[in-house]
Amino acid sequence: MPAPSTAPVTSFEQKHVVSVADLAVSSNPGLQLITYSLGSCIGITIFDPVTRVGGLLHAMLPDSKIDPAKAAAQPAMFIDTGIPALFRAAYQLKAEKHRVQICLAGGAQVIDTGGFFSIGKRNYELTKQILSHHGLVVRAEQVGGVVGRTMILNLRTGEVRLRVSGENQDTILWKG
Amino acid sequence: MERLEEYLRQAKRLPAGPRILPQLIELLKKEDANSGNVVHLITFDPALTARVLQVCNSATYAGSQPAADVHQAVARLGFGEVYKIVARVISEQALAPAQKGYGIGKGELWEHCGVTAVAAQAIAEDLGLDAQSAFTTGLLHDIGKLILSTVLESTYHQLIEETERKQCSLLEAERTVLGADHAQVGGRILAEWKFPAVLINAVTHHHDPAAAPAEDRKLAACVYMANMVAAITGHSYGYQALALQGRGEALDILGITRDRLPIYMIKTIDAARKASLIRAA
Repeated sequence: MPAPSTAPVTSFEQKHVVSVADLAVSSNPGLQLITYSLGSCIGITIFDPVTRVGGLLHAMLPDSKIDPAKAAAQPAMFIDTGIPALFRAAYQLKAEKHRVQICLAGGAQVIDTGGFFSIGKRNYELTKQILSHHGLVVRAEQVGGVVGRTMILNLRTGEVRLRVSGENQDTILWKG
Repeated sequence: MERLEEYLRQAKRLPAGPRILPQLIELLKKEDANSGNVVHLITFDPALTARVLQVCNSATYAGSQPAADVHQAVARLGFGEVYKIVARVISEQALAPAQKGYGIGKGELWEHCGVTAVAAQAIAEDLGLDAQSAFTTGLLHDIGKLILSTVLESTYHQLIEETERKQCSLLEAERTVLGADHAQVGGRILAEWKFPAVLINAVTHHHDPAAAPAEDRKLAACVYMANMVAAITGHSYGYQALALQGRGEALDILGITRDRLPIYMIKTIDAARKASLIRAA
């Protein structure tokens, strides 16, 4: 019988799953925020390296006008209501606007020359428009293509990792 | 076509579960459906019975008192609901394993098909189509992948190259690399299992509904849309998971415009969450 491993436990990272049309913020350094299944949806991570406050939004559709009641109940469903909700929640935990590091992923597209199903493109364009309107700069992004993505924010380091569906290895989108 | 026949010979290794669904569909079509027959068919398989009762008594359905057996479940929820639970449990068993040839992990094909099923049901209800057929077709639309995945394990890199080089859909790449696609194979499997013709045709044409026989075109278009909704909302996995061909004619067949797509996405996410189909941990 092999001897039990004596290697010390060096990390005890907890995962918090952010579902589609949802968001989460935290200042717990032992936490990883993770969202699976970004298709045409947009995943946005923000992280303040000084206060170590981070957040993750998984928004599904661009414009909340199509269902204002839904937007009121679940602002993270839409880009235009989700982004303000994400920042407000992070500010409450003492994140500062001028320090936050912003990363984007998702916005994939089906093969669609007729533009009937081009939600991913519209999600991405509106995201960029809203962020630049508020003078916010995106540090790193991986968007578009025909792939599904998982996005992970490490609240200890601010590192953002991506896992493309069908691939075995994570890639580092932002080192933190 | 020879290769299609060759693939179908391998279908004998598929889980036998879905074979009882056509019998249940047949029983449910009868006005005077005898609950004894339905219950008998389900309880023939003790593992299935246990799972069905577990779902009946889960938070999604649970009433004040749990159902102790299938008779009580039918009395409480009705045939239609119990049928859907049985179809779900059986499909989950068949579709849960990883499909390495497609780069699809454990549970991922099931999640995709479950989400497609609730999307198809939501679209069918919105448009006054047969919601039960839409649900079943959504569950089984990708069953052909179970066969082709095995073949693809040695050739999947060709599939990826093909989609990247030609900017073509996964379906077209399957045809080039394998000589058959998963929709054709899936339709043939349902035919072997004696599913109703409309379901066979809808599965066969779920990527190209305009090619379906006129009377089955709407169901095929409904499942086409549902598959799109699942992919766009991120419930589609494996290599090049969104390499699907966008087809405006599917909207025409259903008599809707592109503005309806976001509405269906919202309905689908709500329904999938309620049915515990979305991964939360």
